[in-house]
Amino acid sequence: MNILAPVRRDRVITDLPPCFRKEAALHPRSSFHPTVSSACQEQRTGTVGFKISKIIVVGDLSVGKTCLINRFCKDTFDKNYKATIGVDFEMERFEVLGVPFSLQLWDTAGQERFKCIASTYYRGAQAIVIVFDVNDVASLEHTRQWLADALKENDPSNVILFLVGSKKDLSTPAQYNLMEKDALKVAQEMQAEYWAVSSLTGENVRDFFFRVAALTFESSVLAELERSSARRIGDTVRISSNESDLYLSAPRKKPKCCQ
Amino acid sequence: MSLRERSPGRTAEDGEDAAGALAEPDGSDRCLSLLPWDRFSAWLHCVCVVGFDLELGQAVEVIYPPHSKLTDKEVKYCLLVYLFPYVGCLGDTQFCFRFRQSPGRKVSFCCFLDQLDRDLPVYLKKDPAYYYGYVYFRQVRDKSLKRGYFQKSLVLISKLPYIHLFRTMLKQIAPEYFEKSEAFLEAVCSDVDRWPPPIPGKILHLPVMGIIMKLRIPTYRDKPGTTPVVQNMHQADAQISMALPTVHEVDLFRCFCPVFFHIQMLWELVLLGEPLVVMAPSPSESSETVLALVSCISPLKYCSDFRPYFTIHDSEFKEYTTRTQAPPSVILGVTNPFFAKTLQHWPHIIRIGDLKLPGEVPKQVKVKKLKNLKTLDSKPGVYTSYKPYLNKDEEIVKQLQKGVQQKRPTEAQSVILRRYFLELTESFIIPLERYVASLMPLQKCISPWKSPPQLRQFSQDDFMKTLEKAGPQLTSGLKGDWIGLYRHFLKSPNFDGWFRSRQKEMTQKLEALHLEALCNENLVFWSQKHTEVETVDLVLKLKNKLLQADREHLPVKTDTLKKLQTHINDIILALPEDLQDILLKTGTT
Repeated sequence: MNILAPVRRDRVITDLPPCFRKEAALHPRSSFHPTVSSACQEQRTGTVGFKISKIIVVGDLSVGKTCLINRFCKDTFDKNYKATIGVDFEMERFEVLGVPFSLQLWDTAGQERFKCIASTYYRGAQAIVIVFDVNDVASLEHTRQWLADALKENDPSNVILFLVGSKKDLSTPAQYNLMEKDALKVAQEMQAEYWAVSSLTGENVRDFFFRVAALTFESSVLAELERSSARRIGDTVRISSNESDLYLSAPRKKPKCCQ
Repeated sequence: MSLRERSPGRTAEDGEDAAGALAEPDGSDRCLSLLPWDRFSAWLHCVCVVGFDLELGQAVEVIYPPHSKLTDKEVKYCLLVYLFPYVGCLGDTQFCFRFRQSPGRKVSFCCFLDQLDRDLPVYLKKDPAYYYGYVYFRQVRDKSLKRGYFQKSLVLISKLPYIHLFRTMLKQIAPEYFEKSEAFLEAVCSDVDRWPPPIPGKILHLPVMGIIMKLRIPTYRDKPGTTPVVQNMHQADAQISMALPTVHEVDLFRCFCPVFFHIQMLWELVLLGEPLVVMAPSPSESSETVLALVSCISPLKYCSDFRPYFTIHDSEFKEYTTRTQAPPSVILGVTNPFFAKTLQHWPHIIRIGDLKLPGEVPKQVKVKKLKNLKTLDSKPGVYTSYKPYLNKDEEIVKQLQKGVQQKRPTEAQSVILRRYFLELTESFIIPLERYVASLMPLQKCISPWKSPPQLRQFSQDDFMKTLEKAGPQLTSGLKGDWIGLYRHFLKSPNFDGWFRSRQKEMTQKLEALHLEALCNENLVFWSQKHTEVETVDLVLKLKNKLLQADREHLPVKTDTLKKLQTHINDIILALPEDLQDILLKTGTT
């Protein structure tokens, strides 16, 4: 029985997509973690094959969260503003290193009246995408609060963060560069990966989501391998020194803004 | 679509994949035009909150969707009627009720949803005249309130009998709603408004409150008892997705536990559509037991009315409880002690106490005499003077008892019980299926030049004769008066409903075969040998056939209709030009 629709050909990831700015990237490696690549090659990914990761998208009212998702999932852009009620939901299927992988994209409402319910929707997220408008300094300021709210419902050491500046097309290069300086600072403080996109022109949108998919995939395979090796205590344990990577096993420090 | 997919070098599989991926969402979107609430109404009629106010009594506090069409009196009335806070249960309770839609109401018509209904197994098909109400009721002490209690219900009203789905959903959303605000309900409704349509046989992903419910609605093609189960692949996914093993089934064993020595007799009573009342201490027990009873004859559909929670405020209260007529063929679940008197004259009464988890199985084996039932304080048990037609199957009772001793989980006990009922029902129905299939005219009787042949009449005597050789003894070891059971069944509403649906299916099959026979004829050649009047007549008839096939979704092969259309065009083109114009313009009316 065909459980899910097949993966689209333009959703196949074979190499780790590059980051946007080296100064604010989740990790400096230019390819997938060797453990992950070899696990996928040997098809040791076990149940990762049907794994779903939950991504929540948060940020101020009308910074363009829904537009960002629509540009990627439906390749459309609607100039008219329509407030999201509660939460929108999209599912995107990828194939990463030959393994099927799904992203649940939860697009939350920026409106104040939905804030009290949002926490319910935040649970179990693997990545948090915090969006701000590159033409609106206040929306960048508010990202710290959005992050703090979203982290209340999640284990900070287990989520990946992205800080995304939107509406890049509306900003002149000079204005943008000014804003980027601030944004990079915020991103470093949050330990988030920084991106700037335009949903109108589509600039960087696809690259961004591919990066999100690749990084969440990588971390979920690592977590899965860790869990299954923990389960097999007592069995023969193979130790090979080249597989250990201290960077990845070190727990994430709590971002400064949440302390 | 990318260029690569259009390139001629693609493999067959690629093509299929691309088509599958694109066709499905498109298809459903097109049919369910994307107005707000359209997707919502494919699943739910409305969501409402009923509160209790000391001065005002029950009041509908919130209703979604808010447009007037849906806040009709009947819905309000039903809520007020049903959700009268009952004493004695503090905490959270869940139950379900079912009510008749008021006669003046227009039956909503959406051909796409009708088509979905067609693919459902018969026992899950929507009954257009009824709604289900799924309730989550909270009653807790709250000193800040005047009454000293917080009493509120969250209710989902739907035509879909997906008890388990809505129960699970309520369990997810209701506690959060009671803690949070109305915005929460708005968000939930907007979640539902994004759900894919309830297509049978597909794995559906339904987002609600940050979690995905994964489920599969059965189709009529599923072999009974082997419905594929959706499973969570990952423990770790539990927080973000939840696989529902079923959309409609209840925990059979838990429900039948208090009366489990009598399950086989209860099966007979339900099969025969006998009037049954379940007297229970609370709506959650009454509704679960009634639903369990109705489902025990699956895959047969229980064709009479049933009310998981019936109250004295019900509009059918008088109709159903009158003493001037024999009790109707219905199953009622009641909690009000008043019914113990009102329904004293009913032939079969199931009285249950609190549903307990197994470990405690009633030791009482005997059926009780009706005259011993005086009040609701009477002991749990089945009160009836009914003598079962079939001998008692000791095996199943032993098997379940053993399970109780061994502390087998209730889910496993339920599976055993469900399989037992299924085999019993199938043993019973197979001889009827076989006989009814023999009423179908032979293939050779279908002539393209005559109207489709009629089904032969159902004859009780002929059917009874087939039982000697091909009766239920072939599939069931159970002894007893099977003949008597069949005689009784043939007079019941369940037989009537079953036979009608078979009749309809077979008539449609005949129509379809007739259409196919027509397609295989050389119609153009025929028309050349006949007069113009006859040809025009043929064209009009064929056009009507096409319309009928489309309207009734006749089970024809996909290319048949296309072929027939080509035939029609060919015949028209062979006619004189002036006539061609007229016939091409004549809409298929």
